[in-house]
Amino acid sequence: MSTKGTKIPERLKIPFAGITPAPTQEKGQDLFPTGNWRSIRPVYRDKLPPCNNACGTNEKIQGYLDLVKRGKYLDAYALIKEDMPFPSVTGRVCYHPCEQACNRGKYDEAISIRAVERFLGDLGQALARDVVKAGTPNGKKVAVVGSGPAGHSAAYQLARLGYKVTILEKSPKAGGLNRGGIPDWVLPQHVLDREIERLVEIGVTIKTNVEVGKDVTWDELKKNYDACVLAVGLTEPNSVRAEGENKDGVLYGLPFLRDIGMGTSKVKVGARVAVIGGGNTAIDCAREALRQGAVEVTMITVESNPQEMPAVPEDLHDMVEEGVELMHGRTVTAVLGNGRIEALQLHPARFSGAINASPITVDKEAKAERFAVDNVIIAVGQRASLGWLPDEFKTERGTIKIDRFGRLGDTNFFAAGDIVQLGSGQPLMVVNAVGDGKRVAFNLDKVLRGQALEPRTVPVDVLFDLNRMNMTYFPHFPRVQQTLLPAASRRKTQEEVIQAYSEEQAVEEASRCFSCGTCNACDNCYLVCPEPCIVRDVRSNGLYKILVDYCKGCRVCIEECPTGCLEGVPELDFDTGVVRMDTAFAVSPGLHGRQAEELKNLGDRAAKNI
Amino acid sequence: MPTIEVQRQVLPILGSPNQGARFFNPELPSSEPFVPGHRTCAGCGPSIQYRMTTKAAGDNTILVGPTGCMYVANSSYLCTPYNVPWAHTQIGSAGSFTAGVAAAYEAMIRKGKWKGAFPNIICEAGDGSASDIGLASISGALYRNHDCLIICYDNEQYANTGIQASSRTPYGGMTTFSPPGPKVPEAKTLFPKDLARMMAAGHPHCYVATASVGYPIDLMNKVRKGLNHKGAAYLMIYTPCQKGFVYETPRSIDLGRLVVECGLYPIWEWNPEKRAYDYSFRPQNMRPVSEYLKLQGRFGHLHAEHIAKLQNFANEQWRMMGVELPEALIHAADAKNLVNMAAAVEAETVAQTL
Repeated sequence: MSTKGTKIPERLKIPFAGITPAPTQEKGQDLFPTGNWRSIRPVYRDKLPPCNNACGTNEKIQGYLDLVKRGKYLDAYALIKEDMPFPSVTGRVCYHPCEQACNRGKYDEAISIRAVERFLGDLGQALARDVVKAGTPNGKKVAVVGSGPAGHSAAYQLARLGYKVTILEKSPKAGGLNRGGIPDWVLPQHVLDREIERLVEIGVTIKTNVEVGKDVTWDELKKNYDACVLAVGLTEPNSVRAEGENKDGVLYGLPFLRDIGMGTSKVKVGARVAVIGGGNTAIDCAREALRQGAVEVTMITVESNPQEMPAVPEDLHDMVEEGVELMHGRTVTAVLGNGRIEALQLHPARFSGAINASPITVDKEAKAERFAVDNVIIAVGQRASLGWLPDEFKTERGTIKIDRFGRLGDTNFFAAGDIVQLGSGQPLMVVNAVGDGKRVAFNLDKVLRGQALEPRTVPVDVLFDLNRMNMTYFPHFPRVQQTLLPAASRRKTQEEVIQAYSEEQAVEEASRCFSCGTCNACDNCYLVCPEPCIVRDVRSNGLYKILVDYCKGCRVCIEECPTGCLEGVPELDFDTGVVRMDTAFAVSPGLHGRQAEELKNLGDRAAKNI
Repeated sequence: MPTIEVQRQVLPILGSPNQGARFFNPELPSSEPFVPGHRTCAGCGPSIQYRMTTKAAGDNTILVGPTGCMYVANSSYLCTPYNVPWAHTQIGSAGSFTAGVAAAYEAMIRKGKWKGAFPNIICEAGDGSASDIGLASISGALYRNHDCLIICYDNEQYANTGIQASSRTPYGGMTTFSPPGPKVPEAKTLFPKDLARMMAAGHPHCYVATASVGYPIDLMNKVRKGLNHKGAAYLMIYTPCQKGFVYETPRSIDLGRLVVECGLYPIWEWNPEKRAYDYSFRPQNMRPVSEYLKLQGRFGHLHAEHIAKLQNFANEQWRMMGVELPEALIHAADAKNLVNMAAAVEAETVAQTL
């Protein structure tokens, strides 16, 4: 019993038999360790949120959304930069597999993760000095061939690990697919330029106009560098194998975009343009053609309806809004004209196998259509150009043969990006290439240190089931929409179509995050505990501690945990090597402990660096 | 003799978008006047309430504990979990004891014998003390307007003596004093005393409010409003009792939410300045009472007509709060549209086989 405020006479101040110790805020009533009533113990065990899991480079999406929610933008930016060298680029161009996986999509609308990422990326661009520093130099030299997403990512991670990195780029400007494959109205050049500046700032040397196989050979790479990452990408466009494809006015998707992006384009498109293909590149080509002065743009696809097209629905919608016509179920069998294209000969066609997998079956019996055009842009995929590579490392698909760690045999050569992912079942996306570059960089580091490469064997519990969370704490709330330029005006300009979030919008959107399976320090368990035996020392880091001396195992905290991070574990499971009522935390703290540790460090780091 | 100005504590009101827990609240005080190591049951509703109340009140607080669970279970062997001064009093004298403490501090401050702010004086009476045995003394304390907060932690029965019916036990609630049987299949036949409205109507100069452990921030804010109110304040707080209600312990907070969403425990405030009820609190959903009843063993014997009667009672509460009733709730008030509780069906077949 507390004696605070009571005047105790001197003679009573000595301890005497029968008096019990007063409880304290720190220790509670240690005379009664009620923890031995318990049969089930609450344990914090963080699961992997589905967004982190779906992301090609496993960005800690839940982590940075949570930091944005709390207004810690710089910490959020630093967290994103661990896995993603250019959030301002992916914040614009990413096909957001995270949003498709978002659990909130099953509840009302998925979180607009990409828009928040862009907000953070732009914030990072505005900083005078980046939060990321190069690692302590270890004296080793690494060459990265190609400066596209995979090469950029590998170079970035290697520079952070302390390597002296040189990027060899065959084009006059660095950026690879980020520059050549993505139009300006999606990703303005200055944004990419700034990200490449950042890469140079951490000590990466970029040599442009250097083509592997021509200016530098395989043996020279082997001799001059300790290791090499090949991220050459897919550079050669596929043809549609139509008669007269070599006529004037026949363009190919990626070179068409690349020349515009590099500023070396000499093409003037005519009034009527046809685009062959139904993928994302085809959509970009169609929309770029409008901006290059075309009046009527028609997209000709083998797919019989828009739903089957291997493209992002939002982009498809925006394209149709801008006035591009769709023509389904046909393919080009010949390009007609006298030296210069005048028309296309079209035949009905369909995929013979599964959807979007060649070969296609052309119905030659049907009557051919004549479709008058001034230009045609063929965008039916790309392939690699690997003449310089020793044959032993080539696959029958025309890609580079690697083991599961991205390594070419026993050499110190590694490959990453589209060049290895083509045909692997993974969609070819910027973010997947970034992830590949990151993993390969870490594997390369291990090889050069002489450590064994081991696949990750830790089982990951991804939280997909909304029943594992307490949904009463999440009111329905609509998604904050990004504003778009009006369709009529954007047809003629190179200005960005999708507008950025304001700070308020970013915080509002980040607040919608469920934080699936991961403790985000909402204080629910802390507030509802009847004992109360849940304590937290540092308020903001989300690390709670359960005093198992007192926890009676009522499981109110588990039931009221909105994110499903808390779990009940039978007390009997703790008997191996663990003294009962002695450990206050989980058998393995899992992500929870790690994340808390990371978040704690981030604060210091960000403060010091800026 | 110079008059000494009474220093009063002013506790800030916490902000929260939905009055529930959910969001990290930087304003939450860090002190814990109620510490672990007490001997209440696992998942105890009253002790959740006790903890939230004391956390909201802070360290300069004096607690009065008339006989009840929170006295019996917590103060055995002269050892209590209260980290602030706490005193036990008889079950009937909750109000008079609290009034005495408040009056003593007023006098001590007036005479200059107590330096410092006037403490938060809180009386934590169970519903047995507050609605039956100590009703008169609490009414007296409120009537005389002593500066104190009297809380009725309402677990709807006498729980520390082994679950006996109190005047707050709801219609249909099974206790050892109101067991269901062939003559009285609904167990308790009387509807509960509307204690909080009685206190508001009888002592209109007092701050009176109801709260539930399902809405922690709302509860803590009402405690602070009651303490900030100059004069007597009265709070009735819904606190589920795992032993008496017979439910699974993790559902304590859930029940606190459901009872409000089902309309069986309206949440309101009596505004003593305007002399009016404030019904602005709205739960996220409105649900039929069966969703609340089916979680609890004490309602397991109910037949369809009893559930309909309870739904009618809930509908009246909604109407009293000026809420327009959705069709579904009117529909659910008709016994024809309801089924017996599963346990009740089984009990009938047992009776027939015998």
